[in-house]
Amino acid sequence: MRGWRAIPTMLRVGLAEAVAYRAEMIVWVLATTMPLIMLVVWTAIAEVAPVQGLQGTWSSKRFVAYFLSVFIVRQLISAWAAWQINYEVRQGVLSMRLLRPIHPVISYLVENVAYMPSRLFITVPIAVVLVLSGGAEHLSHRPLIWVAWLVSLLGGWLVAFFANCAIGALSLFIDSSVKVMDVWLAGFFVFSGYLFPVDLFPPWLRVISEWLPFRSQIGLPVELMTGAHDDGELWGLLARQWGWAAFFMALTFFLWDRGIRRFQAFGG
Amino acid sequence: MTAAIHVKGLKKSYRVHKRPPGIAAALRSVFHRTYSEVAAVDGIEFDIEAGARVGFLGPNGAGKTTTLKMLAGLLHPSAGELSVDGHLPQRREAEYLKKIMLVMGQKQQLIWDLPPEETFELNRAIYEVPRDVYERRMKELADLLELGDLVQRPTRQLSLGERMKCELAAALVHGPKVLFLDEPTIGLDVSMQVVIRDFVKRYNERTGATLILTSHYMDDVAALCPRVIVIDKGKLSYDGALDELVKKVRPEKRLTLRFSKPVAREDLEPFGAVVKHDAAQATLQLKQDSVNDVVGRALKTLPVMDLTVMDPPLEEVMSELFSRSRASQKPAASEEGEW
Amino acid sequence: MSPWRAPVRYLALLTRQLRTSALLTAQYRADFLIDGVISVFWAATAVVPLFVVYGRGRDTGIPGWTFGESLLVTGWFVLLQGVLDGAINPGLQAVVDHIRKGTLDFVLLKPADAQFLVSTARFQLWRVVSLVNAGVVIGFAFHEIGHGPSLLGVAEAAALLAVATLMLYSLWILIVSAAFLVVKVDNLTYLFSSIFDAARWPGGVFRGGLRLVFTFVVPLIVMTTYPAEALLGRLAPTSLAWSLLGAAAFAGFARTVWLGSISRYTSAGG
Repeated sequence: MRGWRAIPTMLRVGLAEAVAYRAEMIVWVLATTMPLIMLVVWTAIAEVAPVQGLQGTWSSKRFVAYFLSVFIVRQLISAWAAWQINYEVRQGVLSMRLLRPIHPVISYLVENVAYMPSRLFITVPIAVVLVLSGGAEHLSHRPLIWVAWLVSLLGGWLVAFFANCAIGALSLFIDSSVKVMDVWLAGFFVFSGYLFPVDLFPPWLRVISEWLPFRSQIGLPVELMTGAHDDGELWGLLARQWGWAAFFMALTFFLWDRGIRRFQAFGG
Repeated sequence: MTAAIHVKGLKKSYRVHKRPPGIAAALRSVFHRTYSEVAAVDGIEFDIEAGARVGFLGPNGAGKTTTLKMLAGLLHPSAGELSVDGHLPQRREAEYLKKIMLVMGQKQQLIWDLPPEETFELNRAIYEVPRDVYERRMKELADLLELGDLVQRPTRQLSLGERMKCELAAALVHGPKVLFLDEPTIGLDVSMQVVIRDFVKRYNERTGATLILTSHYMDDVAALCPRVIVIDKGKLSYDGALDELVKKVRPEKRLTLRFSKPVAREDLEPFGAVVKHDAAQATLQLKQDSVNDVVGRALKTLPVMDLTVMDPPLEEVMSELFSRSRASQKPAASEEGEW
Repeated sequence: MSPWRAPVRYLALLTRQLRTSALLTAQYRADFLIDGVISVFWAATAVVPLFVVYGRGRDTGIPGWTFGESLLVTGWFVLLQGVLDGAINPGLQAVVDHIRKGTLDFVLLKPADAQFLVSTARFQLWRVVSLVNAGVVIGFAFHEIGHGPSLLGVAEAAALLAVATLMLYSLWILIVSAAFLVVKVDNLTYLFSSIFDAARWPGGVFRGGLRLVFTFVVPLIVMTTYPAEALLGRLAPTSLAWSLLGAAAFAGFARTVWLGSISRYTSAGG
């Protein structure tokens, strides 16, 4: 890989950039409050009567643990490359990125990773809240699951990131792929377990979500955290997740390769 | 007659957050920041009469644009007196705003996806220009600027130069009495620069509008502004005619001689400092008062075919001026504060 | 000078701005179609969570609200989302672009109120499709409920629509004023949409402090739950009165903050 020596510096600069804009950090955090709203909604519903799911009943406490987990995972695996790429193509500054001796996708990847430590400012306190609020009983207690969780976290992020890059790459072909990203987001909200646990899906929704990548993005890490699966299913689910990751990775590099050639042909 | 523009003791300071490099400092800055005061404009004064054309000169960051923005009412001065045509710009009274316009090179107010005509109509509505006055004025501007059917094509389809012309037309829809131009010709090719320059001059002559221009292109200033104000590091370092400035800073002339046969460099040196030299011609730099003497001697002893006497290029004069003032002035005031 | 001059003038300006937006709409006809399709999709996804909550003959639900009644709130949410996407977010994005490109100065140079100019600069008129979607959801909701709304209910709901629009607008002005402070402003429209998303749920789910916040600070409950209650004939008249007053006060507050931001912008140097 060309230019890999630059990566440590890029990471350092990326982190400095991430913390340089305090207000922007706050805005970003506030913008991902959806899990917290859902927490409020579902606990209100569960107060009336615990909700019956496929695997046992959901009490308020269980919902709290679930949605705090969703919040934490969302912060850690976030990716926004699609909007960034659209912006750079629109403003004509993509050329600057193409001039660097490093593949543009890698440079977006490094920037994304560089922002992760700054997310810890929020996720660590929330994790503490999660444990202290009695949510610990709803989290998995098995070390193997937690190892698998780390793997699924990485897998989920890869799916998120490369889906972003692939959709962003579309802007090299069509005017703007932001709308495609909007559709992706809609699917993400509904089919992934972000707005409500997969356990509570009606059968028709569950069937559809089996075929879509969204559950692999955020659903799986959260489900593992909250002990929704045993060892047997573990490997199957992880394999599917990494299958999606590999698919989007391949799609990304394919689209970028074609896209850059087109960009060079038409002068961008 | 009272001055159209009156400025006295004008100051403008900013608080700037200092961000040192490095991870530790970056993380620290999340919780705790240090600021310093930067004086962009540090006590400027001048008076400009109505209908005058004045150029602001100065290196980057000197405070020219800041001063212009204060005159346009976009920025509040930190201290000092300021009045334009009897108004206090920072009040941003509607009556005042209808009399002025700021044109900024590289920044445009034309609506990108629609023809310039739409922007003109919008400005007409905003500035409440009567329909008949508007029609007459736009026709005049279209003639002066040679717009033709440009105004009917979407702005994004126009070239940079064409856009700038339409930009100027949009700026003048309401016939401002005072026109501020901030680097209006930046990025334009030479022929377009000439077009803009000529237009601005004719607009001033026809309407008697007061003009303040900032530009890095000395040709703009030389062609348009009989009077220049030099601003450096927020302070006024010269206010007067451009030729006087040139004489003051570089009281030298350049003599270019064309020869009928090659002349060796050593033969030229007794006459003056040799700036350029090749087989066919040479350029010497001489003191102003010695020009006649040297010309006489050169004509007698050298095989001169043709000669011209010129001022040194304005760019050189300016960079000379700025480097001098940088050497002599104290660094700009800065106080560190911790918040 | 006649006191009618200013309103007449601003009405004329508004007409001109609308004309400009219409011309831009005509320019991008393909967007009209695509956005229309996507909006149907989004409306569907707005409804799915309710199917999950009330699904499979569960006896769970939102306290105090049946399936049909909750759908009504969601339908109103879709309606307001159309207003948001058609009138408010585009303007917000336009101001963000201005600040980024440094062309906000041009707005400030004009002898017309800056707030008015930025508010009316960009309407995406093709978002009217959302009104149709909302109509479908609301129609389906009443089908589930079993009977239609009363005339009084409709009148109250219409008034509350005006209230909601004014509140959304004021919220928007507050966020734009914040845009002057926040250096990287890309996330603001997203922030707005994220917080607004909570409005799809009937107010019954919010208890205690959060209920107060969503009624008085970020009045989402007033925007979607109140109109639904009005249409169901169970809105207290005092609530309606307080909403009207609240919206007016909120608008006044937003205006003050806007003016403060502009003055800070001109002092700090933009």
